[in-house]
Amino acid sequence: MPSAIEVYNLTKIYRGGVLAVDDISFTVERGEIFGFLGPNGAGKSTTIKVLIGLLKPTKGRLLINGVDIAKRPGEIKRATGYAAQETAIDDRLTCMENIYLQGRFYHLSKREILARSAEVLKMFDLYDRRNDLTATFSGGMLKRLDIAEALIHRPQILFLDEPTLGLDVQTRKTIWEYIKRLREEQGMTIFLTTHYMEEADVLCDRVAIIDRGKIKALDRPEALKAQIGGDIVIARFSALDGSIPQEALEAIRGLPQVRGIEPKRDGAYWIVVNQDGDKLIPAIFSICGQAGVSIESISLKKPSLDDVYLHFTGREMREEEASAEAHIRARIMRGRIRRR
Amino acid sequence: MIYLLSDTWFVAWRELLKFFRARVRLVVSLIQPVVWLAFMGNMMRGLTSNPVTAKALGTENYLAFMTPGIILMTVLFGGVFGGVSIVWDRRIGYLEKLLAAPISRGAIPFGKMLAAMIQGAIQVVAIIIIASLLGVRFQTGPAGIALIVLIAMLFSTILSGLSLALSASIKTMETLMAIVNFVTLPLMFTSNALFPLAAMPPWLAAIAKVNPVSYAVGPIRALTLTGWNWEVILPGLGVILGLALLALLVAQYIFQRATTE
Ligand SMILES: Nc1ncnc2c1ncn2[C@@H]1O[C@H](COP(=O)(O)OP(=O)(O)O)[C@@H](O)[C@H]1O
Ligand SMILES: [Mg+2]
Repeated sequence: MPSAIEVYNLTKIYRGGVLAVDDISFTVERGEIFGFLGPNGAGKSTTIKVLIGLLKPTKGRLLINGVDIAKRPGEIKRATGYAAQETAIDDRLTCMENIYLQGRFYHLSKREILARSAEVLKMFDLYDRRNDLTATFSGGMLKRLDIAEALIHRPQILFLDEPTLGLDVQTRKTIWEYIKRLREEQGMTIFLTTHYMEEADVLCDRVAIIDRGKIKALDRPEALKAQIGGDIVIARFSALDGSIPQEALEAIRGLPQVRGIEPKRDGAYWIVVNQDGDKLIPAIFSICGQAGVSIESISLKKPSLDDVYLHFTGREMREEEASAEAHIRARIMRGRIRRR
Repeated sequence: MIYLLSDTWFVAWRELLKFFRARVRLVVSLIQPVVWLAFMGNMMRGLTSNPVTAKALGTENYLAFMTPGIILMTVLFGGVFGGVSIVWDRRIGYLEKLLAAPISRGAIPFGKMLAAMIQGAIQVVAIIIIASLLGVRFQTGPAGIALIVLIAMLFSTILSGLSLALSASIKTMETLMAIVNFVTLPLMFTSNALFPLAAMPPWLAAIAKVNPVSYAVGPIRALTLTGWNWEVILPGLGVILGLALLALLVAQYIFQRATTE
């Protein structure tokens, strides 16, 4: 069986000369939830639009289910479903009319549409509201309807462009549940884009980090996190005479799994570890015991995808989203790279 | 091919559904011609009571003279709406949704044009009924009325094609409306839709003679006032049919180009 999506050396330059996607290649397997993670303008939407045939690639070969999309665009459109970043519902039509038209545009018969729409509207908890004008729907309901519409022709591959953009946390979580169910119950392949770290982390089997049109890293979320190493042990020491416990710090720095130590203004020390930071804690205790340094507090932080993102792009996802520890970790990592 | 037809129909169906749902708009679009007919008819009564002008008009009933003008004006505004609805669809992302579906591309402009055409036909029938109630006698009877409706539909296609072609490069509704008004109102007033050629200053009459609106007015007026006057009907019908086909092709071509990136 061919892979669901194969992309080889895709480049997309818009008419105005904007290089939106810059020579990317990747493969998505059947039944996989695959995520594109990146900030605004990274080229996520452009990639999706090329894959579903809305835009022509400037360069590159794209296969959907092993079929070249340039050769049989109609077939590709029937095999894929697409919910755009911008929810596109006609608010002067009812829920049912919207989905009915979508079915007609995919050349389904009236009978097929009625059966299938009942099924997807029930799945997305919209069936009771099917005869209401969509002008009365909330943002979350519109998004659900939009995704439901994308499923009306039973696609094998579903493309979701930022499916939870602008939704509140609760609604976002329900959308995640729907997406997981689609994969579990129907074995659907799902390609989604997001700029929410958590979404990529919770939902995706594999994540590609995309920035300025390039894929910077691609792996399972855990593997990406492991790749940058980096548990952080945060410790506060108090030497008997109130001085800086230089000796103890040197000894800790000398431990094989420690990558670096960063003093913080508030007096804490951030000790960056390759992995298994929890196993380091006893070693720190014994070093401090020998040096006569007592430990006030000690805690452990696991890396998040924020840190991964910062590591691979050298940029924060969004100011308010990147954590302080991500900065430190990234700084130490970069330092390490330079030292080599 | 069968898909082109069904896709076109469902694009149009969506517009018609909204047309009938917007009750206020529907009522206004039917009342408007009544107001025109009643208002203009009364105002211009002085013209028809004068035997010289009555001769220029070709009838003693200014209402009958003016009905073709009102028909075309109504259809004109409806046709223009084709382009506006594409601009709207682009704004709400619906256009992209249509383009992502496996429908024939041509079905999008054709469907919009078909919707404008059907809406126009409904309005024209309403105007004809109202005009009859106000005393206008259509000389050619039901067959002539059917031909009037057909000509009005072709005329609508010209206008919707024009506005669709414009909407490919114009992305805001306000600009499109401004440009369309800039083109259509002068087009209307430099035709013989509201005033007879004989009553115009020579320069205006010269413009009015080549104005495509006059070609639509000609046959409709003949069918209303004088009867099966083929010397007037055939050339007018020919020009309007030709322009409608041209508009169809141009709109389709420009739309195609504007949506391929
Ligand atoms: N239709 C377009 N014409 C020209 N440039 C575009 C167009 N759409 C997007 N771009 C540009 O391409 C780049 C990638 O955009 P996009 O794919 O929308 O990013 P993302 O979805 O990751 O936010 C951006 O620099 C954007 O400004
Ligand atoms: Mg985007």
